[in-house]
Amino acid sequence: MSHGEGLRQSQEAVIGKTQKTNSIQQIRYACSIAALHSACAIPRVIPITHCGPGCADKQFMNVAFYNGFQGGGYGGGAVVPSTNATEKEVVFGGMERLRELIAASLEVLEADLFVVLTGCISDLVGDDVGSVVKEFQLRGVPIVYAETGGFKGNNFTGHELVTRAIIDQFVGDDEGPRDSGVVNVWSLLPFHNTFWRGDLAEMKRILEGVGLQVNILFGHESRGVAEWKGIPRAQFNLVLSPWLGLETAEHLQEKYGQPYLHVPVIPIGAKQTSAFLRQVVEFAGLDREKAEQFIQKEENTYYRYLEDFSDFYAEYWWGLPAQFAVIGDSAYNLALTKFLVNQLGVIPGKLIITENPPERFREGIREQFRTIADDVSVEVEFEEDSWRIHQLIRQTYFGHKPPIIFGTTWERDLVKELKGAIVEVGFPASYEVVLSRSYVGYRGALTLLEKIYTTTVSASA
Amino acid sequence: MKLNLNTPVVENREQRLGTIIAWDGAASELSAESAYARGACGAGCGEKARRVCELQGPFTQGSVCSEQMVECQAGNVRDAVLIQHAPIGCGAGQVIYNSIYRNGLAMRKLPVENLRLICTNLQESDMVFGGVEKLEQSIRDAWERHRPKAIFIGTSCATGIIGDDVDSVASRLEEELAIPVIPLHCEGFRSKHWSTGFDATQHGIVRQIVRKNPQKQEDLVNVICLWGTDVFTPMLKELGLRVNYVVDLATVEELAQLSEAAATVGFCHTLASYLATALEQAFGVPEIKAPQPYGFAGTDAWIRELARVTGREAQAEAYIAKEHARVKPRLEELRQRLKGKKGYVATGSAYAHGLIAVLRELGVEVDGSLVFHHDPVYDSQDPRQDSLSHLVDHYGDVPHFSVSNRQQYQFYGLLQRVKPDFILIRHNGLAPLASRLGIPAAPLGDEHHALGYQGMLNLGETILEILARKKFHDDLAAHTQLPYKQAWLRQSDPFILARKRQAEAKGSYD
Repeated sequence: MSHGEGLRQSQEAVIGKTQKTNSIQQIRYACSIAALHSACAIPRVIPITHCGPGCADKQFMNVAFYNGFQGGGYGGGAVVPSTNATEKEVVFGGMERLRELIAASLEVLEADLFVVLTGCISDLVGDDVGSVVKEFQLRGVPIVYAETGGFKGNNFTGHELVTRAIIDQFVGDDEGPRDSGVVNVWSLLPFHNTFWRGDLAEMKRILEGVGLQVNILFGHESRGVAEWKGIPRAQFNLVLSPWLGLETAEHLQEKYGQPYLHVPVIPIGAKQTSAFLRQVVEFAGLDREKAEQFIQKEENTYYRYLEDFSDFYAEYWWGLPAQFAVIGDSAYNLALTKFLVNQLGVIPGKLIITENPPERFREGIREQFRTIADDVSVEVEFEEDSWRIHQLIRQTYFGHKPPIIFGTTWERDLVKELKGAIVEVGFPASYEVVLSRSYVGYRGALTLLEKIYTTTVSASA
Repeated sequence: MKLNLNTPVVENREQRLGTIIAWDGAASELSAESAYARGACGAGCGEKARRVCELQGPFTQGSVCSEQMVECQAGNVRDAVLIQHAPIGCGAGQVIYNSIYRNGLAMRKLPVENLRLICTNLQESDMVFGGVEKLEQSIRDAWERHRPKAIFIGTSCATGIIGDDVDSVASRLEEELAIPVIPLHCEGFRSKHWSTGFDATQHGIVRQIVRKNPQKQEDLVNVICLWGTDVFTPMLKELGLRVNYVVDLATVEELAQLSEAAATVGFCHTLASYLATALEQAFGVPEIKAPQPYGFAGTDAWIRELARVTGREAQAEAYIAKEHARVKPRLEELRQRLKGKKGYVATGSAYAHGLIAVLRELGVEVDGSLVFHHDPVYDSQDPRQDSLSHLVDHYGDVPHFSVSNRQQYQFYGLLQRVKPDFILIRHNGLAPLASRLGIPAAPLGDEHHALGYQGMLNLGETILEILARKKFHDDLAAHTQLPYKQAWLRQSDPFILARKRQAEAKGSYD
């Protein structure tokens, strides 16, 4: 388009026409090196970053701080070891500097495992990071590396690289016997998902409730590297997400001959959670009767609370939103939509998936939304640029009253414009403080209901 | 030494000012070693006159880069757009600076909105074939989406290494769009200290936004600041002066009129150094050569100098007398309540000098302080701006004065040396450690909080609030786990690794 043409068009016409380009405004994911969070999400594991002076800080402050103010935990935070590469490393390479940093990290820091991650500089100048790390591995130092230069992919793909690095370089081969009833869980992306700590804890709780022993792998409920060492002994892998973790599960199947169960929908609420648990019980061949006892007990509690809630849901004078939009990555988007449609009877207006899932998984994700309920089918859109996302929302008809938007901080202005309500459920959630809160399973669903309707009610006068 | 405003690339701080990021000793020693007066540190440190000896250790923790400062400066200009010419990871900074921008707008009573940063989202193939086409596309997107009054372009490590010709794209589109399109060279690896990013932004503004044929406004004063509350308007009103706030939250027009002001001041010489000097050099706008406005000594001198330059001496004396009388009774009460308390300041360099002065006015003991870098001289090279010497001369020495670029592993030992009751801090990374040791922190998100006469009262009140948090911190300290080895925590010299390496390099370690 020529400059003159651009000037002639009115602002509105331009907005309507804007085509997808390379530009990303108001980001919804970070780059591969942000997978340093996948390392420090494991108790007593510390990342070592080989990158420019701003990379580690930038990923932490944005992914873990201004996103629920989660904090860095034991081995994370803005001050993870970093080479803080300078012009010297750009010109002469950074291997010597990395070697020095790793050696010094061993003197200063107490960790069960170090994970070296590289940034753009190292990957562009071609440092042979593998050979530097190997020197330490040969000395028996628990250390692995992953090449996570920022131009190579986002933090979702970086997460799988880090996971793979730990499995291949630290856990290693295993020919031992399988322990039946043990499962490895691969699910939410740590830290990027604002509620991952609480959610993984709830997943572990309900899976244990039906009789499994759970390697949850990340977060405060994980036993750290001992649990990771136990990965090969598990009976099976559970991938509880639309696509993240599938590559890992496929790798584990190949490496250890371990089967996996893929459940794309993270369950929220009794209906979905009970169905999920029954599916797992079936797959794992667990004691059905014992499992049913747990399910019944959980459902009983859940529905007593729902009865209490129904007074409000039926009688609240000032009206509740009837339509919703979700702007977020596929895992939470699918989970929320399933719950809102099937259990609450709220109408989906617009659903946008923002994490740029690999092409090969997209059709599967679309299909999940097309069959979201017996009587509801939705077409999702894949979009990463918030400018375009907000245009899509503006162009959506939400009926006669404003929608409730499940999104991020980026939607705050848009929601004001629409006079709707916002629940920040994903990266970045800069106006939420999150400790152990969970929105999944039985208990998380109740918290989610509290959050949705507190938001609605508190905005009513 | 004149600033070179003719090339698009700013000269970095270590080259211009001899900036260092690691040092340990007494404030008086550092001030003596710094160039203003007092010369170099001896034969070991090279030929540059203002070279201060620097300790470089093998262990380093994540720092901050120049590009981040470009994001938080150029990216927070209200009717401009900043393009981050980078892979998506650099775009992560949009999150924090959006938060700071929104809250800053609210503090300044401006309409709250999201910032406008666009990442060119470079990928592997762009590393091979170059990313300038994507840059051009993003500039056009910025134009179509926002019709900005100016477009800034921040470079990244990746684009610096692959050598994208950002300057020629910028100048071509500047001509076509008829707005300033300003390349800011801020590759993270180019400078060891992030403050070079302030300079990069200010360099671009002076070169391409500031009006070249200024119509002087004799009552306008440039205030170089970040996002803090508007404390300058009421102060300067007493002298019949108006405030032109830059760089964050300014409009492009406010930046354009920088050359028309009667004077330039800042809340911190670190931040203001480059822009204030450039405006004086290129447009004759005088920079106020005075200590920073903290404590009675600094604020009095600062107001008097501003009044002298703008011809308002009488108003200044009346204002100074009125303010002294107003704040002294409450200050006396605060001194009583803070008696015996020990504070510790961990902030940017010149800002720390100001904060320590305020703590001393409050009667708080300050035996130690950490600054993230040290500039042996500011761009004006005027000794009246020697903020460290001003501190030492007026408020006494700080025996443990360390320069450490946000290195948490050293911070542990630094706190052990002086065992403060609280810390003052702005940047992330250190306060969580202090917290886990039982020491509460007063984060100064509003950087104007401690400024001027009222600032002494503000800070006193804040410290009282913070001390109450001791209960939370004691409980936490009793149950905390640090990731540092016991051997390291027992180490009494936080700079030992660097000293060892230095000695080994000289071959004389024993």
